[in-house]
Amino acid sequence: MKLGRSSYAVVAPIVAYGLLIAALAEGRNSGTEEGLYFAGPVQRASVALGCGVLVAMGVILLGWYGFRLAGAIASIARLFEDCRGRDGGDSSGTFSLLKVTEIDKLCTLVGEHLDVCAKRAAEDKKQIQDLRIHVQLSQKREKNTEAIIYSIRDAVIVSDEYDKLLMANEAAGRLFNFDFKNSQRRPLSELIGRDRSEFADFLSHSRQSRNQATRREIEFSEQGERKTFDCIVSCVYDQDQQVCGGVAVLHDVTREKQIQQMKNDFVSHVSHELKTPLASITAYSEMLADGEANDERTRREFYSIIQNQAQRLNRLIEDILNTSRIESGLIKVNKELVSLTMLIEEQLQMMRSYAEEKNIKLIGQTPIVFDRVYVDRDMMSQVIVNLLSNGVKYTPSGGSVKIETAVDEAASLVRVTVTDTGVGIPEDEMGRIFEKFYRVGANKKQAEGTGLGLNLVKQIVEKVHEGRVFFTSQVGAGSTFGFELPLATRESVEIA
Amino acid sequence: MADRKVLVVDDEIHIVHVVAIKLRNNGFEVIAADNGAEGLKLALAERPDIIVTDYQMPVMTGIELVEQLRQNEDTKDTPVIMLTARSFAIPQQQQDDLRISGCLSKPFSPKELLGNIEDILYQKQLIAGK
Repeated sequence: MKLGRSSYAVVAPIVAYGLLIAALAEGRNSGTEEGLYFAGPVQRASVALGCGVLVAMGVILLGWYGFRLAGAIASIARLFEDCRGRDGGDSSGTFSLLKVTEIDKLCTLVGEHLDVCAKRAAEDKKQIQDLRIHVQLSQKREKNTEAIIYSIRDAVIVSDEYDKLLMANEAAGRLFNFDFKNSQRRPLSELIGRDRSEFADFLSHSRQSRNQATRREIEFSEQGERKTFDCIVSCVYDQDQQVCGGVAVLHDVTREKQIQQMKNDFVSHVSHELKTPLASITAYSEMLADGEANDERTRREFYSIIQNQAQRLNRLIEDILNTSRIESGLIKVNKELVSLTMLIEEQLQMMRSYAEEKNIKLIGQTPIVFDRVYVDRDMMSQVIVNLLSNGVKYTPSGGSVKIETAVDEAASLVRVTVTDTGVGIPEDEMGRIFEKFYRVGANKKQAEGTGLGLNLVKQIVEKVHEGRVFFTSQVGAGSTFGFELPLATRESVEIA
Repeated sequence: MADRKVLVVDDEIHIVHVVAIKLRNNGFEVIAADNGAEGLKLALAERPDIIVTDYQMPVMTGIELVEQLRQNEDTKDTPVIMLTARSFAIPQQQQDDLRISGCLSKPFSPKELLGNIEDILYQKQLIAGK
């Protein structure tokens, strides 16, 4: 709205006069010389008059504007009435120029505002779409991460900066006996039992240490069995490189530890087994060289001992090498037709002195008419020697070891059994008796050994000759170890 | 010389045999056992001047034998030489705790064993003379 020219003509001199009077009053109040000079009764009357005029003009102006505003509002109201009338089919209405101008301006302003709002709405909509995409991507990533963590067989636990559970997979739930869905955000120290608090402490300390990764072997008792876990804790860093949690991965290394222990035991046993015959050979050789064997009989005895111990050493080395060769598939097999009775007799002769040393009776067998098998002679000799020496080794002085051969023509196989009156094998250890390096715990003190002999017997009979090994045992009464091999056909014997 | 009695304990009969011949040829009286438990019985019954024992034996190991010997008033000061075929040595602390006079690794020289026995018994005699 604008004031008309006539309005300016009236208002301007009044305003100028009012301003002059006000300036004079101000000058007097501020204490200037001019202000003091004019500060008489005439001036005070002028000031009062000026103020009165100003107040009057203010009232007039407010009335004017009120009038114009009421007019504008009435115009808009009529405009809307007219619009409604036109919508109803009445097209005769026209608007004054003043109304159109004001409405145009209003419409322009409203239109501009609407444009701004629409633009903002479009931007917001785009932002919402972007956010939705981000949320979907994040959810997908989270699900992928969860799927990866859940598919890991090792136990995985993620904690926050307050050592509360953020995430855990099923393996972790099983290991620490908690349900992840009901355990989120609970303190790890509460979730993990006291007997496993070493892990919770380790995770917490590793996180606090801010080291990128820390590793430790932790042992837990699970259903009465001692288990070892290789535990690696890595710190989780936020965008500001501040530690905001920890991830622990627990890998079960119980089996690896057992194998490592078995290997260590093996090296220790092999060392002992190799050095024992070597010690005899060295000592007796030195005695002979130093002339300590006074007569021919003693010298012969010494020579015999050296020879036997050298053979013992050779058998042990063969055992170790053959186990390795059979496992790697590098062994050369020379199969030929062999009479088992003859082969057994040869090995019995070799074992007699060892049995006599321990005061054990070695009982042979009666020859069998047809007992030919198609085997590697050296390997089968080793099987027989191992079974016989085991029998002698684990039988107390005064006992006996008996070897027998039986032919089952119907099944076309030959069966060899070695029966001793030894210490026997406890029932709970029977399942592991053919395992490599395994030695019966209760019998370890009975005799030395590498734990290779029976494993080699099984490998040679079953893997190389497609036969079968078996055994029965009773603690304190003795054991029977044996094997079955396919009998050679008469045709193959004739061809040979 | 007749009072120099040696107990040899080893489950390997050939080792006992060769050590016995070497020592007897050099004026010692030798008694022998094939395991730790038997060795302990003989040690308590015969009171040998010195004991030569294998480290690893069935029934009772050499270490277990020495532990038992040290708990008995009659054998607590008897010198012991340990023979071992193990690749590792008996820790020095354990040797000191059990007062093991010496360790010989298998394969060993009977001559060296004899020298060790002579030295230990000589030292023992000197200490007793003081």
